[in-house]
Amino acid sequence: MQGSMKRSTKWKLAMLLILPVLLIRGFTIVYPLIVTFINSFFEINMFKGGEATFVGLQNFASIFTDGKIIASVNFTIVFTVVSMIFHVILGLGLALLLNMKFKGKKFLRTITLIPWAMPMVVTGIAAKWAFNDSYGLVNDLIRRIAPEFQFDWLIHPWSAQLAVILVDLWKDIPFFAILLLAGLQFIPEEIYESAKIDGAGHIKSFFKITLPMVTPTLLTLCIFFTMWRITMYDLVYAMTSGGPGDSTSLLAYRIAVEAFTNLNIGYASALALMLFLIMIVFSSINLLFIKKAQY
Amino acid sequence: MSAKQKRILTFIFRWSLTLGVAMIILIPLYWVFISSITPRGELFSTPINFFPENFTFQNYVDLFVELDVATMAWNTLIITVCSLLLTIILGTAAAYAFARFELFQSVSWAFRLLLFSALIPPVITARPLYDFMKSFDLVDTYAGLIILYTSLLLPFSVLILYNFVKQIPASLEEAAQIDGANFGTILFKIYFPLMKPAIATVSIINFIQSLNEFFTPLFFTYKIKLLSVGITTVPRESNFEVPWDLISAMGWFIILPIILFVLFFEKNIMEGITQGGVKQ
Repeated sequence: MQGSMKRSTKWKLAMLLILPVLLIRGFTIVYPLIVTFINSFFEINMFKGGEATFVGLQNFASIFTDGKIIASVNFTIVFTVVSMIFHVILGLGLALLLNMKFKGKKFLRTITLIPWAMPMVVTGIAAKWAFNDSYGLVNDLIRRIAPEFQFDWLIHPWSAQLAVILVDLWKDIPFFAILLLAGLQFIPEEIYESAKIDGAGHIKSFFKITLPMVTPTLLTLCIFFTMWRITMYDLVYAMTSGGPGDSTSLLAYRIAVEAFTNLNIGYASALALMLFLIMIVFSSINLLFIKKAQY
Repeated sequence: MSAKQKRILTFIFRWSLTLGVAMIILIPLYWVFISSITPRGELFSTPINFFPENFTFQNYVDLFVELDVATMAWNTLIITVCSLLLTIILGTAAAYAFARFELFQSVSWAFRLLLFSALIPPVITARPLYDFMKSFDLVDTYAGLIILYTSLLLPFSVLILYNFVKQIPASLEEAAQIDGANFGTILFKIYFPLMKPAIATVSIINFIQSLNEFFTPLFFTYKIKLLSVGITTVPRESNFEVPWDLISAMGWFIILPIILFVLFFEKNIMEGITQGGVKQ
């Protein structure tokens, strides 16, 4: 198509081909985003008739004094930071194991894909029962070592938070490891061989070769996985419904409750916008890293 | 330490880690499975009997009789297949244009915008989108769901297909052009057949993603029941009781096809997710 067409014909053809995609994404993402932006400056509460009253920045001001939001933000930060630390450590370990050349390689890779492929809701609902005091899997396994153990995980805030984090790790570390594996496979075999000739052991070549070479991939993955943690919804919906109290209501869950249960649309929009700004900051950091990795 | 001892140690080290990982992943799945085939009366007993002597498929029968999962599965399948087809058709056309007409500033900006839009989480856009869909009577319809699912699947699909088109030499279509082939012929006779592997990969991953999609059906349907939302609405007799018998059976009903998919298409999935690196 390249040669014979006029430049303007080419442009028209290109636009014709990408237009359906742009329209769908435009109407389902860009347009609602603009509405969210506008709504965030209004008070719109469906329970009070749903009329829009301009309130300026008041929605944003109330965010900082809303105890529920502060609880949400606190847990979102704890959840994200703790989860990411273990993603990096255990994910790297699992990726190294996946990268080894031995007979169990295919078996291990297939199994590792299963948690990724499962729906988060199914995982969350099963987890709710698994952390049940009397009949759950977790306490049953603990009781095989400590027979008298009794503990109801999901009724104490700290242990419910811990349980949510553990389930998140079970579900997503395998995926993290698989993506990291792609980075590991780019490291040429010869580097390890020449390091071996120079007398470097496994541990030394890990810190001198593997870690530095896989760091760009690791950083990019961390950005994406952090963003997914910040916006996670399904898990707490299925597992804890944000409870006990508001101890496990992640920010995305809180926003959905404001928007669809409390029908407090103006306020929900302000929260959503705040979340959007956090995402922008993270994706700009991401772009910076990618640029650095390229040069 | 002799070379042989070292080899044995490495062997034990690798396999114990592998089996450890496998157990962490598989034991919960196995537990859900045995729960689903344990007779109702024996389910609420401690300790858990990992090798039950009595088993029953009554829970699975109840799924069809009491919960009508057949309808849910059918709805899920229709929406998944339709959005898959739509995504492939629109996505391939767009990927071709993005890859071949990249020199136009507007085209390359549109591509960047598309990828960026994938980072915006659905919870930010959900409420206005709901009102917007409602004004077109698209809430709680197949058409509405298919549009929303397609929108979710497009960015990742276009990215993978785009990478693939870039690898196809442009000289191929130039030769066809000299032979007098028009644009439609080139797209359908040259590109579609060549892109089969990429299309397969994209379809497999999109299939899993649409089966798993939860947020969209949760807020955009009431009457059209899908499997992913269905499992959260299994009726309970009281607030304190969890219908674990039915939930575990439904859990397995949902994940069994997914596990089979993973077993069959492990290679394609690996390729796809490591190339795209994007979840949805």
